[in-house]
Amino acid sequence: MSKPDRRSANAEPASSCTENPEFSIMRSRRRFRSQLILTAFLVSFSLVAAACSGDDDADDAATDTSANTATTADNEPAGSNDAPVAMTQQDLSAVSGEVNISGSSTVEPISIRVAELFEDVAPDVSVTVDGPGTGDGFQLFCTGETDISDASRQIKDSEKEDCFNNGINNIVELKVGVDGIAVMTNANNNAVACLSFEQLFELIGPNGEGASTWAQASPELPDAPLDIFGPGEESGTFDSFVEIVLEDLAEQAGVEATTRTDYNPSGDDNVILQGIQSSDTSLGWVGFAFAINASGVKLIDVDGGNGCVTPTPDTIASNEYPISRDLWIYVNADKAAANPAVVAYVDFYVSEALNQAVSEVGYVPLTQQALAETAQRWNTRSVIS
Amino acid sequence: MISRLYDDKSRALVAASIERRRADARGLLFRSLLQVCLLMTLALLAVLLLTVAFDSSEQLTTRLWDFLGGTLRSQSSDDKLGVHQGIYGSMWIAIIVALLAFPVGIGGAVYLEEYAPRNRFTSFIEVNIRNLAGVPSVVYGLLGLALLLNGQFFGLDRFTGGRSTLSGGITLAILVLPIVVITAGEALRAVPVSLREGAYGVGATKWEMIRTQVLPYAAPGILTGTLLSMARAVGEAAPLILVGAVTGRLGDNPGLFEVSALDDRFTALPIVITSWTQQSGRDVGFATAAAAAIVVLLVLVLIMNSAAILLRNRFEKKRG
Repeated sequence: MSKPDRRSANAEPASSCTENPEFSIMRSRRRFRSQLILTAFLVSFSLVAAACSGDDDADDAATDTSANTATTADNEPAGSNDAPVAMTQQDLSAVSGEVNISGSSTVEPISIRVAELFEDVAPDVSVTVDGPGTGDGFQLFCTGETDISDASRQIKDSEKEDCFNNGINNIVELKVGVDGIAVMTNANNNAVACLSFEQLFELIGPNGEGASTWAQASPELPDAPLDIFGPGEESGTFDSFVEIVLEDLAEQAGVEATTRTDYNPSGDDNVILQGIQSSDTSLGWVGFAFAINASGVKLIDVDGGNGCVTPTPDTIASNEYPISRDLWIYVNADKAAANPAVVAYVDFYVSEALNQAVSEVGYVPLTQQALAETAQRWNTRSVIS
Repeated sequence: MISRLYDDKSRALVAASIERRRADARGLLFRSLLQVCLLMTLALLAVLLLTVAFDSSEQLTTRLWDFLGGTLRSQSSDDKLGVHQGIYGSMWIAIIVALLAFPVGIGGAVYLEEYAPRNRFTSFIEVNIRNLAGVPSVVYGLLGLALLLNGQFFGLDRFTGGRSTLSGGITLAILVLPIVVITAGEALRAVPVSLREGAYGVGATKWEMIRTQVLPYAAPGILTGTLLSMARAVGEAAPLILVGAVTGRLGDNPGLFEVSALDDRFTALPIVITSWTQQSGRDVGFATAAAAAIVVLLVLVLIMNSAAILLRNRFEKKRG
């Protein structure tokens, strides 16, 4: 194909275009190309048109919502289940402004879900949520860039110091939910009822690499096949498990704070569950909110140093169960005072909407009492010192 | 001397290689090796495209328009989930890159190739530009962070609005600048000397020669290179994360041509893909959404590349 072209190009050196043999090859392919281009452009125009029209729809929906909050509930898709929240709220359709949130990627989905529910009652408030991590979030928060900081731990003294030095003195700390992780085995497994953090580290930590029975990983455990199922590295539950259970022990052992690599990771909780159900002596971990509804599995008690504790909504909410941690948001009260949008959003955050959002994104909701405390803290603007 | 050569055994060698059997076993082996290489590349591409197309079908076949018009959401089953904000960011980043990097890069290349003297200093500059083209993109993200966000330089952050589409676009324009200079330089170098000499021969000045001969002749090559670099800019995620692209939720969903939103917080398609892939650990439906976003990004890049080919063909026809 290319050889005759090359020859003809050499035969006509006078034409400036054929000096480079590539060009004549291109020309012979041009017809094919122009067809390709035509197709591509058809696709492109339909795409642009779609994008524009899609946006119009979104705008229309927004105007509808602001015009009549009550009727939007009927138009909502069955899945989103916003109606009860929208009904109980006061009319916020006149409030407008921006709310900037950053911080923990663990808490991020809660803040986003609350913002989505909030959007239906206050469509003119623009809530932006980002999740670079708790520490990075506090850095932005303490330079005054964000109104609210999500955190999967309480603020450190050094971070507080930072905030105060930058004149951000009025910070309201609000507990919004609990992150709990359940360790599970097959329902038929009666040999193991309780595991300590040390045993979990031996079984699942990097030192467990290659151990194919429970006994190989940890001597006092039964000599039975060990099949481990858990979330993959991209999962927040993976990170939480590493941070709460493995990190300290890994540091003591002088190894990297992560899990062994030879387990069966999955992004889908249902797949993890099926894995645990498939083997009588399996071991696995998932978010507690998912595990509590699972059948065919047994939740293992965990000993974090103060005896074995059974995971229940109560023991998790009280942090008695060791693989649990509280999730927080920190609100800059001065910014809130200057921005009605922040006040409206946080008011909404600490209302009933919170527990709906928390359970929808897979965490353990606060008890009624804890929720009331959180609301109380916000309503009185009790700042940390 | 010559007679000795004729007498030499080289003569026998030449004779043997002309007369021997023409079965070119090694040549055939080499050729089939090359074919295997090509096949492997194509197979990998096909696997990638097929998996992505297969994974994305759930979103793209059932709710294509909603998906293209929707926003970042916390749940993959949400009816408002979509990539509109990402398309807005990526499209405007591409436009900003075209407006900033192309004129500056092509201008720099014309100066380097046509006007600058050939000495150690200019070759030093050229080597540096080539090195810059190989610098990891995250480093450009850090540059953008220092230059456009932290306000250490001339208060540029006030102009860009800090973490905004503008900052993202400018950062990526800087990222592709060296590539534009290099590809435009190559295209200029490919202009035949006969054309330049012909122009001089009929009395053209240097400026006239460049304007009427060099630039039109090099235009197709320049265009191809620059638009390919734009496609690269549209695919970058790492530098955008550093200049504050939003991964979680973006409050506004501006219309595609709403210029006033350029200094607001932003996201882009590669960021959306990264974010949804991460969230698939929590909500497995996001894997489908991420695949669909990949398809949208691929189509966007395909549009740009076909625009490049179309424009190049136009210029080539003009050049006749």
